[in-house]
Amino acid sequence: MTASSRRFPLSRRRLLTAAASLGAGVIAAPYVARAEEPVLNVTGWGGKWGDVMKAEIGPAFETEFKCKLKTDTALPFLPKLQASSRSAPVYDVLHTNSNEQWAAVEMGLVEPKVDPKLVPNIADVYPYAVSDKIVGVCIFTSAIGLGMRTDKGYGNVTSWKDYWDAKFNGARGGYVIPANSLGQAFVMMCGTLYGKGQTDLDAAYAALEKLKPIKLVDFTGAMEKLILSGEAGIGILHDSGIYRYDGQNQPVDFVTPSEGVLSLEQVLSITPGSKVKELGNAYINYMLRPDVQKRLAETVWYSPANKKVKLDAKYDAKLLTTPEKVSKLIQVDWKWYNAQKDEIDSRVNRIFRA
Amino acid sequence: MPASSAPRVNSLALLILPSALLFALFFFLPIGLMAVMSVLTGNPVVMPNVGFTTRHYARMGNDSYYLEVIWTTIRIGLWTTLAALVIGYPLAHWMARIRSRTGHALLLMAVLAPMLTGIVVRTFAWMTLLSDKGVINQILTSFGLITRPLQLMYNETGIIIGLVHIYVPFMVLTLTGVIGRIDERLEQAAENLGASPWRAFIEVTLPLSLPGILAGSLLVFALAISAYVTPILLGGFQIMTLPILIYQQISANFNVGFAAALGMVLLTISLSLVIAYNHVLGLVSGQRGLQ
Repeated sequence: MTASSRRFPLSRRRLLTAAASLGAGVIAAPYVARAEEPVLNVTGWGGKWGDVMKAEIGPAFETEFKCKLKTDTALPFLPKLQASSRSAPVYDVLHTNSNEQWAAVEMGLVEPKVDPKLVPNIADVYPYAVSDKIVGVCIFTSAIGLGMRTDKGYGNVTSWKDYWDAKFNGARGGYVIPANSLGQAFVMMCGTLYGKGQTDLDAAYAALEKLKPIKLVDFTGAMEKLILSGEAGIGILHDSGIYRYDGQNQPVDFVTPSEGVLSLEQVLSITPGSKVKELGNAYINYMLRPDVQKRLAETVWYSPANKKVKLDAKYDAKLLTTPEKVSKLIQVDWKWYNAQKDEIDSRVNRIFRA
Repeated sequence: MPASSAPRVNSLALLILPSALLFALFFFLPIGLMAVMSVLTGNPVVMPNVGFTTRHYARMGNDSYYLEVIWTTIRIGLWTTLAALVIGYPLAHWMARIRSRTGHALLLMAVLAPMLTGIVVRTFAWMTLLSDKGVINQILTSFGLITRPLQLMYNETGIIIGLVHIYVPFMVLTLTGVIGRIDERLEQAAENLGASPWRAFIEVTLPLSLPGILAGSLLVFALAISAYVTPILLGGFQIMTLPILIYQQISANFNVGFAAALGMVLLTISLSLVIAYNHVLGLVSGQRGLQ
């Protein structure tokens, strides 16, 4: 026996211990390495949006910025953010529709605006994407109009007011207004159509009363199913909810009402207590990049907010990709709406109860 | 004084510790927090300067809409309980008295079968039956029996149908155990003394099965008034119940305080009804211990 082997005798136990440690180290190494990477917690949608984010857009962001992107797709987001600590929020970047962004900013949960110096791509967005009706920055928008069946012989529909036509009684689809952005935007449209403007709630309530009988759903996905199944012949829907069935031979079409389309904005904002604000700004900037915008727009049929994006002809023909088309968008004053929300909810719940 | 006279803790009592801990953590603590949140102006964990307020309860009192919602919730709960009892009792009686082991097993499987499927799936199955374009309306239309679809869902009837289907097994399983323990010779004695089978049932079996009726009804009622998925889907969002309103307040209005106040009201009403129900049935059955 040599001197060294006496000093470090290689017993079976020692060998097994060493092998186990080495194995554990090999398995844990990637996790240990990743643990050093910053983590960006964001919210996002499921469905096709979630698929393309998970498969392409998200991993590309992680590689480029050497970070981990964790996306929460389980609604509702705001109560979770509301329940988390202000100094260590559950999300760094909040992605929701405008109505919830305004509620979040009122509660101090998100920052009111995104700094254009930190997000250079903001310089290329349409004015509506950073207007005074927007918290943070809008990265995509959809046009809220009317989705309808084309096989029921309803004839030509051109105006929002056609939605009230008696021929749609029992075949009209609407939203649970307290819970849905499209439903809430539609309340404001009712005020515009039958009253003095968006804030004319009495006119809106009277108009809503005349929509019965109506079938109510909570999400746009449910409205799509309602129309696809034939349970509803007409419903309030965003263009994406119809265009995504392009090429599938479905008897459905999107109507752009002559009075204009309401804007359904996809908005990103940063939480004040985020520890990775720099990364959050980088994420927003990345989501506004023309190549990312194009990929997402052509996957989910959302109109890109970046005016430099060039979509393929099929998408360009239908989506809001020019200043002229964008000018038809009607933005809602969500700050005002949210201030009246309890009163509106109470009233519309009464109107639509069976 | 001898040491043996000191009270000794039964070591078996320690077995109750895990369940006591479970109740304390997941029952009393959440309800206590809910009670506190219902009288605060905000969440003290994340907001500074939170004070006490009664505005959430005042809001309910000042708007009759919320009282209507409470009554709708109770009404749906009562109808569901009654229907589950009417359907479940004969089935439970049959199961308890059937001689054949195979027959009992088949009945048990039939009762349990719906419970093997999730509530959401079962509710969607009802939707395919009850909707305007559903199986029932399509069949009736194809036979020329109706020209316009019957309104089978998007109303309280649809909700009650769905809830009864889901909760009948709870009623049956609770009743079967109680009826099975009733000595059949009591009924036979009543019949030997001249009572008809129906009278023997009314005067012997039914009173003796009241504890089962009480337990089953309380279980079904509690589940029915706290149901969320079935009222949402079969009510088509047009029937507002307290659980739906509570969820709406949290998810869409972000008003945790008002949601907590609504939750406290639901809890108070449930407890009041349970106590009243216990009291009445205790009196009827002569079981003073229930009061």
